[in-house]
Amino acid sequence: MRGLLKVYVAAAYLFLYLPLAVLAAFSFNDSRFTVWQGFSFRWYEAAFTNAQLTSGAVTSLLIAVTSTLFATVAGTLCAYALWKRNSRLVTTTLYLSLVTPEIVLGVALLAFYQLVLGRIGSSLGTLTVVLAHITFSLAYVVLVVLARLRTIDRSLEEAALDLGANEWQAFRRVTLPLLLPGVGAAALLAFTISFDDYVITSLVAGVDSETLPMVIYAMARRGIRPEVNAISAVIVTVLGTLILVSERWNRT
Amino acid sequence: MNGLRRLFLAPAAVILVLLYGIPLAIVAAYSVLRRGAYGGVDAALTPYNFARLADALYLTILARSFLLAAAATLLCLLLAFPLAWFISKAGPRKHLYLSLVVLPFWTSMLICMYSWMFLLRDTGLVNTILLSLGWISEPLPLLYNYGAVLVGLVYNYLPFMVLPIFAALERLDPNLLEASADLGAKPWTTLRRVVLPLCAPGVRAGAVLVFVPSLGDYLTPDLLGGGRTIMIGNLIQNQFTASRDYPFGAAVSLALMSVVMLLLWQLLKHDKDPLL
Amino acid sequence: MSLPGLLGCTSARERRLNVFNWSDYVAPETIPNFEKEFGVTVTYQTYESNEEMLAKVMAGNSGWDVVFPTNYMVVPMVESNLLARLDHTKLTELDRLSEDFRRPSWDPELAWGVPYMWGGTGIVYNPSVKPAPAHWADLWSDRYGGRLTMLDDPAEVIGACLLKLGLSLNSTDPAELEKAKQEAIAQKKFVRAYLNAEVQDQLVSGDVLAAQLWATTSMLAQQANPQLQFVYPSEGFALYCDSAAILAESKEQELAHEFVNYLLRPEVSAQIATVTQTATANGAGLVLMPDNLRNNTTLFPPSETIRRGEWFASLPADAHEARDRIWTEIKSA
Repeated sequence: MRGLLKVYVAAAYLFLYLPLAVLAAFSFNDSRFTVWQGFSFRWYEAAFTNAQLTSGAVTSLLIAVTSTLFATVAGTLCAYALWKRNSRLVTTTLYLSLVTPEIVLGVALLAFYQLVLGRIGSSLGTLTVVLAHITFSLAYVVLVVLARLRTIDRSLEEAALDLGANEWQAFRRVTLPLLLPGVGAAALLAFTISFDDYVITSLVAGVDSETLPMVIYAMARRGIRPEVNAISAVIVTVLGTLILVSERWNRT
Repeated sequence: MNGLRRLFLAPAAVILVLLYGIPLAIVAAYSVLRRGAYGGVDAALTPYNFARLADALYLTILARSFLLAAAATLLCLLLAFPLAWFISKAGPRKHLYLSLVVLPFWTSMLICMYSWMFLLRDTGLVNTILLSLGWISEPLPLLYNYGAVLVGLVYNYLPFMVLPIFAALERLDPNLLEASADLGAKPWTTLRRVVLPLCAPGVRAGAVLVFVPSLGDYLTPDLLGGGRTIMIGNLIQNQFTASRDYPFGAAVSLALMSVVMLLLWQLLKHDKDPLL
Repeated sequence: MSLPGLLGCTSARERRLNVFNWSDYVAPETIPNFEKEFGVTVTYQTYESNEEMLAKVMAGNSGWDVVFPTNYMVVPMVESNLLARLDHTKLTELDRLSEDFRRPSWDPELAWGVPYMWGGTGIVYNPSVKPAPAHWADLWSDRYGGRLTMLDDPAEVIGACLLKLGLSLNSTDPAELEKAKQEAIAQKKFVRAYLNAEVQDQLVSGDVLAAQLWATTSMLAQQANPQLQFVYPSEGFALYCDSAAILAESKEQELAHEFVNYLLRPEVSAQIATVTQTATANGAGLVLMPDNLRNNTTLFPPSETIRRGEWFASLPADAHEARDRIWTEIKSA
């Protein structure tokens, strides 16, 4: 029975990693087609010299960093407030935003933007994308930070207050340092969600905000593009490593 | 405390109201307005959009989406449970194993979908291997059908089932399992009558977290379904892009959100904090 | 990226033109050459269907300057006040257009769009398919083992069904449309997927044996796999023409006109048509194309073939909604 479980688990992990493994393998294939023709870095070269891919990556990076910043700050503060005293309204709304299907949130934001932007004569652009990303990242940040807060002893803050600190000082100098790994994990989570998002971004993006997932979608629709494989492999490796490291840090 | 607390809640509250609440309210408003001539919205109240939704055509789409999402949820449950069990019993490396389960999801759904297309095509890896092993003589049509969509859905949302079940298993008192064995129960009985009921909260949370996104997913049926299958997500996306019928799309969105809210309400009734 | 840029504002110094076009519709040098000559930056993105383009520009504040609607989209876009009236004084190269496209039926004054590329829709197939398809009706058969695709385009699929029934491509008669719908639904069991230009790759690799596809895209597929064949079905086929149009919302009307004018230059047009293997509406450009393309019967069908073709026509708004519903019914059957 135990052995059977191990076989099953191995198969499950194989299932989870098969697409990624294949992707990576064929990014090194010296041919455009499925037939293996030797090991080569040419697609990595092609990916990094492809103007569309690189500009998409830069745009994605910019948007992800900006939205992560705002979402992490807002989310951390919110989680702290909820930890002190829960608010059913806020928690429920956060859960709701978490389970709202992406397409619904996307079209709602699109409708909202078109109404608002129409009035002020502006158009969809990087800002609309950043705001959208902050919105859907928020709940994730709150969740992760709250989980971390639950591991922190409340009496620590109480002790600080007894010793004469005010609430802000208690937060900043007692709780926050203990919270940092959680905040880091939450920020990383928000970053990866933002970087990878396609559905909502494609709906609310403007002319100047073609993100990497949008470029990949457009390119991969047209057929096998090994450059896409190459850049995907890079993204997966970088983000994957960051996530594993962050998990380690958050466990301390 | 109140002052600081309100201040801390403010940014999140502003975001939720301005960028979540109001847009959804706009969608709700659109659902009762009339479509303009070539798109856009006329300021004229009408129940037409909901009436249209009650048509057999759209009800079929809704029903089919439900079935597919339910199938994906069930499969996820069956696949996730043993995996979560193994991880929770894996000792010091359990968190590594858990991270490894979650990793593919956090690194990009879109890329993984393309990989699956590459794998499942007639000239893709799976068929090539099966052909070279001689198990089949003709490539199997693995892509562009409901099966492929199901594979995609399970792949995307499996971590959402594993995590809550893992959390529930972690909270399980091992003494209970011992006690059950002492009382003469076979492992299967212990599983069925002790473990599963105690894991119910985790299973419920996982079910909602898999079912709802599967229901609204439009990318997976679009890419892996080959444009042959319309699910709720595709229908909504279509109305807000190609068909330019915002009011009808809004009505469908509202229908979907009602289901979501109903499920969430049921979940939160049983379990104040399903994820923590 | 500057902060004003981040906020979506345009800087007074850096002139920028935003062009939204079909994929595979310019040569690699086309845009860079324009940028160099006029000292501007061009943001160039692509779409795969008219619906995709229209969805973006419909709200009237998309940020795009130049788009390329297919002929039957021009009138609806004009009626929705999306297009800017063309200033012919700025289009000095306008007389380069072929005779046939100087006074097109959908825009006789050329007030709204400049014909860019035209083509027909037919069937591209792998020679291993026997007997080879020659009619739309041939696509209602399982000789392809299910490896058949149709275009993900309501006008094209409904059109093919109407033509198969011997009816007009542009029919708005509900009874006729109903019959076409039944045909499309009956065909579904033979159809693997509804794909546009993205099917090229699968045609080349053999995943797909036959597809309803535009002539120009078929040419590109044939380039990669010379064994593929193309045929214009006997019952008739759709003819389309994509035009370069300027959006009313554009804040760079002057520059947009320069760009459209640039596209009309014979050598520019010829280069694009040669690289993308398309039929150009530019007569002066046509003569500069290599012989093998100019005489290619797929791109430039002989007159007996052309006579079977039918141009897409603009349809009234309610006809659009009817076809839309039919398309949803087909897709979800």
